[in-house]
Amino acid sequence: MTQRITKYQRFIMMNPIIQFFKFIYLSLKVLIIVAGRHGGTRKLK
Amino acid sequence: MSKVVVLGAGISGHVAASHLRRKLSKKHEVIVVSPNSNYQWIPSNIWVGIGRMKPKDILFPLTPLYKKKGIIFKQAKVQTFYPEGDLELNKPYVIVEYVDKENKGKKEKVTYDYLINGTGPKLNFEATEGLIPGKNKTYSVCNYTHAYHAWEGLSKLIQEMKQGKKAKILIGTGHAKSTCQGAAFEYILNVEQELRQHKVRDMAEITWISNEYKLGDFGMDGMLLSYGSMTLKSKEMVEMIFEDRGIKWIIGAGVNKIEDGIAYYETLEGEYKSETYDFAMLIPAFSGHGFKAFNKNSEDITDKIFKGFMIVDADYTPKPYEEWSVQDWPETYQNPSYPNIFAPGIAFAPPHAISKPRVSKNGTTISPSPPRTGMPSGITAKLVSDNIIDTIKSGNSSLKHKGSMGDMGAACIASAGYGMIKGSGISITTFPIVPDYNKYPNTHGRKLGKTFGEIGLAGHWLKLALHFTFLYKAKMKPFWWLIPE
Repeated sequence: MTQRITKYQRFIMMNPIIQFFKFIYLSLKVLIIVAGRHGGTRKLK
Repeated sequence: MSKVVVLGAGISGHVAASHLRRKLSKKHEVIVVSPNSNYQWIPSNIWVGIGRMKPKDILFPLTPLYKKKGIIFKQAKVQTFYPEGDLELNKPYVIVEYVDKENKGKKEKVTYDYLINGTGPKLNFEATEGLIPGKNKTYSVCNYTHAYHAWEGLSKLIQEMKQGKKAKILIGTGHAKSTCQGAAFEYILNVEQELRQHKVRDMAEITWISNEYKLGDFGMDGMLLSYGSMTLKSKEMVEMIFEDRGIKWIIGAGVNKIEDGIAYYETLEGEYKSETYDFAMLIPAFSGHGFKAFNKNSEDITDKIFKGFMIVDADYTPKPYEEWSVQDWPETYQNPSYPNIFAPGIAFAPPHAISKPRVSKNGTTISPSPPRTGMPSGITAKLVSDNIIDTIKSGNSSLKHKGSMGDMGAACIASAGYGMIKGSGISITTFPIVPDYNKYPNTHGRKLGKTFGEIGLAGHWLKLALHFTFLYKAKMKPFWWLIPE
């Protein structure tokens, strides 16, 4: 069955104060994942 | 003295040229060849397509920047590759044709020591009969001109809806093998929100049409992601969003023909169907540019360099899906025949798709091509330029910098509606981009936690922050290099 976005989830999604902290968290998390590291895969062979 | 020629000034070409210029002394030449006089931040085309930004907000002219930074700029398009030179010119070169007003039509042999092909894709609208941006009520958001025309079309329709017209809007992929579903996904959500802002949402039926086998495939075989305290499939997440927004969907559809207001498509079940619309934004197929290459004796060696896109250090051995491996994907983007040629970003030929290929009952391949846009384009361009810089500085060939899409993360920050308070964004971050089923066998080839989704206002702010940050970086303003790709 398809998940639905509940009223509470919508409140969290659109609350500017909660989302401000989410923005800081997201920015750092994305930065760490994307800029963190990248390399080759073939040494695993 | 070394001469590095960069073909293209999009995300990968411009990133490569910027890093080369910063790290190489002025005795080395960095030359950029691009038919476009402007740099454009492509991810923000979505906002041009809904009238929230003007083209001037997402672009800037390249000539003054390159002049200031000491990069030679030729506004021209590359035509032919001579990687061995010819009988008269004992140096590799490319033939370019100028497109600027002063030199239009003039051809030149541009020699090089190192060549970076960052030409990106050809937007292959011709592959779908009748799919012409601005005609047959179909539009595109693949560049700022297309996006601006899309907004003109949408704006006109909104006015008609305000007069009481009921409208059908169709957004998705315009070819059985299109890629870049993410851009279409962003656009459909932004259009839906704009209709609500204009109070005409109830006048429109919005439909997603895509060559994906499942919703949320995105050409990446879908993903299993963390969402809050839950673990969801990307299919479930997209389904949840579409249900919430009242968007219908048609999947496994290969659009093959467009007539005025009608999209014809074939399904994986082999049925031939059609969908009518008043406004459509359909992403075309991407293809290589059809460049030709010749050896010293002017014999055609196109197959040695190109396989549609440029051949690099990938494993192109044809094999069934079950035998595909993450190790097939390239690490250095170097052409195996000519080690001084590289192709980062979309310009390299992928070894195979990422999503499981699917064929309709009639034998038509209806399956997304692998995406290589955005962050991977920037990351691969930087590592290519770093290897060239190391080679030039040390005098020895260096391929120290590696970046397989099987060991690289990417974030797709999809705008889902514009507005500082009413906006929304869907952030989907994946690691790795190409799933590694051996390393992460229980989580669909990706690392949970590093593969996650978020929905909310913060996503919109993040997309907006990336817009300003990456334009700052592209303009090479102070300390631009501290901003990662």
